[in-house]
Amino acid sequence: MTMTETVWREVREQLGDRGKIEVLIGIPTFNNAKTVEPVVKAVTAGISKVCPRASVLVVNADAGSQDGTPEIIKQAAGPDYPTAFVQHLAGGFLSGPISLHALSESGVPGREHAFRAFFTVAEELQVKACIVIDANLRSLTSDWMEILLRPVIEQGVDYVAPLFRRARYEGSLTNCIIYPLSRALYGKQMRYQTGCGYGFSGKLASLYLAKNVWEGEAAHYGIDSWLTTVAVAEGCEVSQGFLGTKIHDGTLNGIELSLLLAQAVGALFHLMEGYQDVWEGSTGSSPVPQFGPPYEPGPEGAAVNVERMVRGFQQGLRDLLPIWEIILAPETLDGILSLGLVEAEEFRFPAALWVQTIYDFALAYHEKALHREHLLKSLTPLYLGRTASLILETREGIPEDVERVIETLCETFERMKPYLTKRWRFS
Amino acid sequence: MSTLWQEAMLEAFHETSLRIAHLLPKLMALLTFLALGLAAGWLVKLFFLRVLRAVRFDALCERFGLGSSLAKTGTNQSPSHLIGRLSFWLVFLLFAFMGIDALDLRATANMMSLIIAFFPEMLAAVLLLFFGMLLANFIAEAALIATVNAQIQEARIIASFIRWGVLIFTAAMVLTQLGIAKEIVVAAFSIMFGGVMLALAIAVGLGGQTIARDVLEQRLRRRKVEKVEKDNISHI
Repeated sequence: MTMTETVWREVREQLGDRGKIEVLIGIPTFNNAKTVEPVVKAVTAGISKVCPRASVLVVNADAGSQDGTPEIIKQAAGPDYPTAFVQHLAGGFLSGPISLHALSESGVPGREHAFRAFFTVAEELQVKACIVIDANLRSLTSDWMEILLRPVIEQGVDYVAPLFRRARYEGSLTNCIIYPLSRALYGKQMRYQTGCGYGFSGKLASLYLAKNVWEGEAAHYGIDSWLTTVAVAEGCEVSQGFLGTKIHDGTLNGIELSLLLAQAVGALFHLMEGYQDVWEGSTGSSPVPQFGPPYEPGPEGAAVNVERMVRGFQQGLRDLLPIWEIILAPETLDGILSLGLVEAEEFRFPAALWVQTIYDFALAYHEKALHREHLLKSLTPLYLGRTASLILETREGIPEDVERVIETLCETFERMKPYLTKRWRFS
Repeated sequence: MSTLWQEAMLEAFHETSLRIAHLLPKLMALLTFLALGLAAGWLVKLFFLRVLRAVRFDALCERFGLGSSLAKTGTNQSPSHLIGRLSFWLVFLLFAFMGIDALDLRATANMMSLIIAFFPEMLAAVLLLFFGMLLANFIAEAALIATVNAQIQEARIIASFIRWGVLIFTAAMVLTQLGIAKEIVVAAFSIMFGGVMLALAIAVGLGGQTIARDVLEQRLRRRKVEKVEKDNISHI
C-alpha cells in the first residue's frame, strides 16, 4: 500500500460519512502545544467569517509530537469542525547521495509528507480549497483566512502565496537569487516568500500530487522551495497575500547558510531542468494579483556585520578559485577576480556580474560540471559578496532604496536571460 | 685429419641447424604473439574509449575532482584516455608474456602461470587506487567548501590534510593488496598514524597546554560573538 493510500484510508476511517467537504485546513505539527490552540481558534474564526456555510475539515499531520498537540487541536476546533489526524515519518523517506536535509521554519521534520497527506485528502474529497497553516505562528489572525481563502473560493485563484513585511535586509537570499531568477525565468512577479500559510485550489492540490517532486532528487529539497515555482511554471492562477509581519516560534537562523542556499537554489535549478520548455520562450515579466493590505517594505533591522560578509567573499576567492574555475565562464571569473582588489568599504558586486554568475552556476548545475551539492555550497561566498554589496549600497538610504536595487537586479536578470538560454541550448 | 675436421664441421652445422629449426617456430610464435598483442591491445583500447565516452566518464571524473588532480600531476590526458592506454599495455603485455613463455626459456619458465595468478590481485589494486583517489578528492573538496563557508582561515591546509590522509591510507591498502612488503607497510602505517596521533596528543595536552587553552578560548569566544553576528539577518 502506498503512502497516499494509507493516509486516505486513515482519514476515511476517522471521517465516516460526512458528505461533501468544501474546505480543507491542513496543520502540520511537531510539538506545538504552546502555540497551536490560538492558531486553530484564529483559523476557525476566520473561516466562519469568510464562508460560514461551507463544510470544513481540519486535518492535522503530526510528525510524532510528545506534548499532546493533536489533542489540543481537537479541543480547539470544537464540535463544529470535524478533525482528522495522520502521523507521518519525519524525513524517513529521504536517503541518497545528496545529503541535503529538507529545512523549514515550521520546525516540522518531514514537512513535505504532511503536505502530501493534505493534498491526498483534498483530492479524494474533491475539496474546493485547501489552506495549510503552520502551528508555530504567533502573528496569525482571523484576517488571514480572508486573504488566503476568499480568493480561492470566490475568484477562482489556484494559489495564494504568503507575502510578509520584513526588516530591511531580511530574506536577502530570496531577494538576491530566488525572486529575480524565478521572475526572469517564468515571467511572474511573485516575491517567492515562503512558509507560515498558503492557499491552494483543489485543482492545484491534485496537480502537485501528480508531479514528480515527492521522490528522487526533488524530494531532497524542502517543499517550501518549490511550491511557488511549480504553481507558476504550470500556468496556474497565482497570487500573493500580504500577511503583515511574520512572528513565529523557531527559526532557521542557527542553520548553516550554505545548507539553506543549497536547498533554495538547488530546488530552483532542479526545476529548471523539468520546465525548460516553459522558461526558454518566456520574456519580460508581469505583476500578479495581490490580496490584503498593500505591500510595504519593512523597517530598519538589526545592524549587519558587512565586513564579515566581505571577508567571507575574499576567502572564497582565495581558496575556492579552482572550483569556481570549473563553474564560471572565463569572463565572469575575470570580473570576480577584480573584486578581490577592492577595500571592504568600497566593495561593490555589480548587478550584471552577479546575474552572469548565477546563470553560470545554473549552467554548471545543468551540465553536472561538479558534484551538485558541492557546486551549490560553493556559491555561498559569492552570495555573501553580493549581499554585502547590497547593504553597502543602500545602508545610508531609506528602506525603499533596497526595493529599488532589487527591482534593478530583477530587470538585469530579465535583460540578460539570452545569455542563459543560448548557452543552455548548446550544453 | 680432414675427415675428422669435416665430421666436426658437419656435426656442428647439423646441431646449429637443428637448434635454429627448433628456435625459429618459437621466435615466429613470439612475433605472432607480439603482433596479436598490438592488434588486440588496440581493439581493447578502442572499446574502452568508446564505452567510457558513452557513459561520460570524463565528466564524472571531473565532477569528483579527478580531472583537476590529474592535471596537477602534469598529465594532459583525460582519464578515459589514460584507462584506454592502460588497457592497451595490459593486453599487449599479456600477449608478450605468452610469446616469451612460448620461447620455452629456462629463466622464464612458469612466468605465465605466475602472472595469471597475480592478475586478480593487480586488478583489485588498480581499482582500489582509482576509488581511493576519487574518494580523497571528493572528501577534500567537501571539506574545503565547508571550511571556507565556515570562514576557517586554515581551510586549504585542512583539505590537504584530508586528501593526503585518504591517499596514504589508499596507498597502504594497495601495497597490502599486492603483497609488497606487507608487514613493513602495515607496521609503517601503524607507526606513522600512531606517531601523528601521539604527537598531536602531546602537543595539545602537554607541550602547547597554554597555547591550546588560549586557542580554544579564543575560538569559543569568537564563535560566541560570531553567532550573535551571524544571527543578525535571516537569509531566506
